Amino acid sequence: MTEPQDPFSYPPIDPVNFDLIIVGTALSESVIAAAASAVGKTILHLDPNSFYGSHFASLSLHDLTSYLTSPHSLPSAATAAASSDSDDIVVVDLVHQPLCTDAETATYDESAFLSENSRKFNIDLGGPRALFCADKTIDLLMKSGAAQYLEFKGIDESFVYEANAGLANVPDSRGAIFRDKKLSLKEKNQLMRFFKLVQQHLDDTQEEKIPKEDLEIPFVSFLEKMKLPPKIKSILLYAIAMLDYDQDNNEVCEELLKTKDGIDCLAQYSSSVGRFPNAPGALLYPIYGEGELPQAFCRRAAVKGCIYVLRMPVVSLLMDKVTGSYKGVRLASGQDLYSHQLILDPSFTIPSPLSLSLGDFPSERLQMLSQRDIKGMVARGICITRSSIKPDVSSCSVVYPPRSLYPEQVTSIKALQIGSNLAVCPAGTFILYLSTLCNDADEGKKLLKAAMNALLTLPVSGNSESIPSVQSDSEDIKPIVLWSAFYIQKLIMSKFEFISSTPTPDGNLNYNALLDATEKLFNQMYPNEEFFPKATSPEDPTDEDDNGLTLDS
Amino acid sequence: MASRRRMLLKVIILGDSGVGKTSLMNQYVNRKFSNQYKATIGADFLTKEVQFEDRLFTLQIWDTAGQERFQSLGVAFYRGADCCVLVYDVNVMKSFDNLNHWREEFLIQASPSDPENFPFVVLGNKIDVDGGNSRVISEKKAKAWCASKGNIPYFETSAKEGFNVEAAFQCIAKNALKNEPEEEMYLPDTIDVGGGGRQQRSTGCEC
Repeated sequence: MTEPQDPFSYPPIDPVNFDLIIVGTALSESVIAAAASAVGKTILHLDPNSFYGSHFASLSLHDLTSYLTSPHSLPSAATAAASSDSDDIVVVDLVHQPLCTDAETATYDESAFLSENSRKFNIDLGGPRALFCADKTIDLLMKSGAAQYLEFKGIDESFVYEANAGLANVPDSRGAIFRDKKLSLKEKNQLMRFFKLVQQHLDDTQEEKIPKEDLEIPFVSFLEKMKLPPKIKSILLYAIAMLDYDQDNNEVCEELLKTKDGIDCLAQYSSSVGRFPNAPGALLYPIYGEGELPQAFCRRAAVKGCIYVLRMPVVSLLMDKVTGSYKGVRLASGQDLYSHQLILDPSFTIPSPLSLSLGDFPSERLQMLSQRDIKGMVARGICITRSSIKPDVSSCSVVYPPRSLYPEQVTSIKALQIGSNLAVCPAGTFILYLSTLCNDADEGKKLLKAAMNALLTLPVSGNSESIPSVQSDSEDIKPIVLWSAFYIQKLIMSKFEFISSTPTPDGNLNYNALLDATEKLFNQMYPNEEFFPKATSPEDPTDEDDNGLTLDS
Repeated sequence: MASRRRMLLKVIILGDSGVGKTSLMNQYVNRKFSNQYKATIGADFLTKEVQFEDRLFTLQIWDTAGQERFQSLGVAFYRGADCCVLVYDVNVMKSFDNLNHWREEFLIQASPSDPENFPFVVLGNKIDVDGGNSRVISEKKAKAWCASKGNIPYFETSAKEGFNVEAAFQCIAKNALKNEPEEEMYLPDTIDVGGGGRQQRSTGCEC
């Protein structure tokens, strides 16, 4: 990404030795910076960009467009090379491979509105993403002290997209089931009975439990066994348990969710509803966008002494010539810095094979690092509109279950609409995020575009007659797209090696899996240290908030 | 609820490393000064109750937490500031020259709706050093710069001696209060999962 030259020239970084050097300020890296600083490690945290957040940044419209469309021109070595620098150090140049590829953006707004308001947008690069009110991300935010820099709002409503019927509310609580207008009385009863069964199962004081053998069978089979109709089954699997793959299609779904895990998902969802009195549903979203999360953790780290340097690319690794072990990094400024451990943003790799022969240098370890653990990809889409996909609803989540758009749709699509009351876009506009897992870029983007077309419409120039509405809700006029972007992001797992790397944003709506991987990485790096020991939290556990928000309800 | 938001005023202190930002905060809030300089570790934000025209306000003063050292303050730090304090060391030319950069950086990052009238206050700190013999920026020069930037109030301070610190912060509080909030998004449905961290904090220092 091209950045304006900073008017300041950085002084050399001092000291030159650290316990840990971290490259990249995505959420995982930032959490590890905060956790390791909390236990007294000396850390240098670098980012080549001028902003915090890496793949979890929230960007202005202009910055987002250039991030997605212009190839990242970080000053990494043009040719993969390793050279012998001195008697005992080998310098290996890093290669930066953008995580986001195949980007296509389109502007349909002919006025200057978007360009004039570019800075009023804080658009998430890793969206759609939200937090469950009861998920452990909230616990981590409190435990780490990052919560004090953040404010959230509840997502107003949760919908599931039904083929030929449009958006239906997710019946996620007793009240919601009662109020639901699209479920039949029979369906309401079936769902109530099922929720009661789950509730009894989770309640330790109740005798009635789901049989052990049922807990181990696929959740989808259990739901069938409970004689739940396809519609209810689909809501439970995709809109509440948030599963990605068609559970009825054994070919695409390698791992079917087990009943016990399905029950856990239901439990998390239901305990999220009503946890915070002024959150209307199960989900929360940070004011100013998800980019606030990594920044909150970085500030925690900074308060504990972590040194921050933005706009500073790392160009090479410094390796011990004899042992092949990691020694340090060389910065774009030319400075060499040393640390016991290194964490690299997953977009950095080592060229393979090394183009230079280095005699006895044990390069096998480097080859290991060059092999990234790519676990497929996620297609992401962003649409800016001037009206909501549901009248009178500002923010909402939408799940499109498999086969809801067309028969070949094998993955579910997650979508999140955020309005201007979350300070991410100018008044009167909305951002709709979409994502789905995919194996092929074209297939992924095709699916997201179908999802977009189901709820939004592209302006037809010179013709007031727009695309015929697919929705049965005839009073709903589909919002017109002002701007859209579709891109593909690789999914790379975290890795603990002599040089560790953090995971990329995953295809999930919440952060739990990502933070689990982060905590695991921290524990591998520092097996004797606690991940955010209690004493580091500055917060008084007594709740003094006059808003009456309590955490344990 | 809207008035509750106005009870809390966010003030951020900007300026080069070592000009005395943390010391000024500490002197004002805790009436303490430490001669031992360490690049800021442990300072987050400090709060102080201030009374103004019979109303009580909470001044929340945010330190840079050392992230200014390599100009690496994130946009989150700047958000929602009601007043921006620019500090330089009267004995260090570069710290004065950089005031312009810090002011511009603030205006870009915080993007206040009315940048012309956003309240800044400039403090020339460390006037005690060497009995004033080592100073390189005259009061006249500093005041001329402040005048050229829309008459920014200017104070000469010594965090060490506690000189003029109270007066400077009174002006800061007054100007923060006058600043019209951006748009009222701090509606009642805002959820603070930490149980009131932003509203209720005594002292943020936990060294």
